[in-house]
Amino acid sequence: MPYIEVLGQQIEVDEDGYIQDPSIWTPEIAKAMAPMEQITELTDEHWKVINYLRDYYMKFGICPMIRKLCKDTGYTLKKIYELFPTGPAKGACKLAGAPKPTGCV
Amino acid sequence: MGAEKKLKAPKKATEAELRAIHIKPVPDEEKPKVALELLRRYKDEWRSLVMAMETCVKCGLCAENCHSYLGTRDPYNIPAKRADLVRKVWKRYFTPQGRLFGWLVGAEDLTLETLEMWYSYFYQCSECRRCGHVCPFGIDTCEVTMAARRILHQLGMVPKLHATTGAAMLKSGNHMGLTPAGIQDTLEFLSDEIEEENGFRIEFPIDKPDSDILYIPSSADFMLNPETLKGAARFFHYIGANWTITTRMTEAGNFGYLFDQALVQKELVNRLFQEAVRLGAKKIVWGECGHGWRAIKMYYNTMADLPHRIPITHILDEAAEYVKRGLLKLDKEKNPEPTTLHDPCNYVRACGLSENMRVLIKAACADFREMEPNREKNFCCGGGSGILFDDPDMYELRIKFSLKKAEQIRATGAKVLCAPCSICKAQFHPMIEEHHLGVELYGLIDLVGRALVWD
Repeated sequence: MPYIEVLGQQIEVDEDGYIQDPSIWTPEIAKAMAPMEQITELTDEHWKVINYLRDYYMKFGICPMIRKLCKDTGYTLKKIYELFPTGPAKGACKLAGAPKPTGCV
Repeated sequence: MGAEKKLKAPKKATEAELRAIHIKPVPDEEKPKVALELLRRYKDEWRSLVMAMETCVKCGLCAENCHSYLGTRDPYNIPAKRADLVRKVWKRYFTPQGRLFGWLVGAEDLTLETLEMWYSYFYQCSECRRCGHVCPFGIDTCEVTMAARRILHQLGMVPKLHATTGAAMLKSGNHMGLTPAGIQDTLEFLSDEIEEENGFRIEFPIDKPDSDILYIPSSADFMLNPETLKGAARFFHYIGANWTITTRMTEAGNFGYLFDQALVQKELVNRLFQEAVRLGAKKIVWGECGHGWRAIKMYYNTMADLPHRIPITHILDEAAEYVKRGLLKLDKEKNPEPTTLHDPCNYVRACGLSENMRVLIKAACADFREMEPNREKNFCCGGGSGILFDDPDMYELRIKFSLKKAEQIRATGAKVLCAPCSICKAQFHPMIEEHHLGVELYGLIDLVGRALVWD
């Protein structure tokens, strides 16, 4: 099983880099994942999105509809793609510790 | 067997992921033997497979009719040659000439290499059945793909996407792993949107007992296709239906149909009827999903543990009936943009929805433009049967598989693409960008809902 290294600890991820156990998420894990998602530095704008997604995921057990993410953060979809070049589901939700989406996505 | 270059194949499910769909992988050294036993069993009970194996004369008509071959020009994507990957083995073990003369008659041993070829090419086929539609002998090559995928599944060779989607279904009753709380929050959000757009609120009744209609949406609608959910709500509200959505079986698709045709496919059907009974539904209305509609329309009786008498209809057939009777007042000018329709393969080549889709789109859109060819002759979106893989090799293939489709859409000059199926939508979301098509994507009930005139 692949892993990423965070503060000297090995964190298990799947082949696509999603953490295997969403409950162990920490902000440090998001920082460690950022370069893999073509993000050089996590800014306050990134954290606004990541924290929103993290809270939503912990409360509802899923990631929100993209449109809801935009409305609640006040960012346009274009802006989300600027922040997370690999996209909301495969970039932003991954950094927020959600598992890889399944089904017709 | 011509596998000189590296085979392109989707990432396989891990042992843990297979365990979640109750599959224990067969050790590599035993795989050929087990595969052959399964093929022998299918030979004895699967008539359409026998017909496909024994009848093909390699006339080649299927080649130019397959979007996979047109996009890749890989000879193994010619439906007859793809099916030959099984036929060679069939010949070798099940025919006297194959047993006696082997390679002289094109017969080949079943090896691990054969199985890897199956895994690669039967997951490049989208089970769209366009080759079956044009075959002069009436061979349904899709049956060969289904047989090969079922064998591969039992060996433990399943794409990660299909296995994890199947596991999500077993765990949560839908493919995306939606939770009841997530479903509720999403639907409240959509009610807010309807209120903003229509000036009045429409609620989505959730798990409501004594409902006449149980509506089964695609779980992907909760993430990617909100307008489809809103369109359905507007339609049900307009006709004054007593309807509900269940949080326990919130899935119009059926990935089980695409890889196992056993446990996962069956489980969804059984849960469906449990829910229909629990909520007192008199009718089940299916949402926009091509393969899922075929899976339920054709196979629910053979998959359900007990016989059921609750009628099941499709939301597009329902809505079309209302239009034909003049019971829906629609204003085409609410959908003024040039609009084209992508016919989902399962709707038009398996479920007879061609005309009703046109009844709806012509009633709801001011400038409807047919793409050519259309109806049962339409080409697949390139993502059919859930081959929506995102590993780089496979994603590149998806772009090629949709080349023909992109050409068709471009030729219409449409600004709106209507594709009333979740797999099609999931394929089109990125492919519209990849092929620079510049169209907006909607389902069909979305457009109907938007055109409704509220007095």
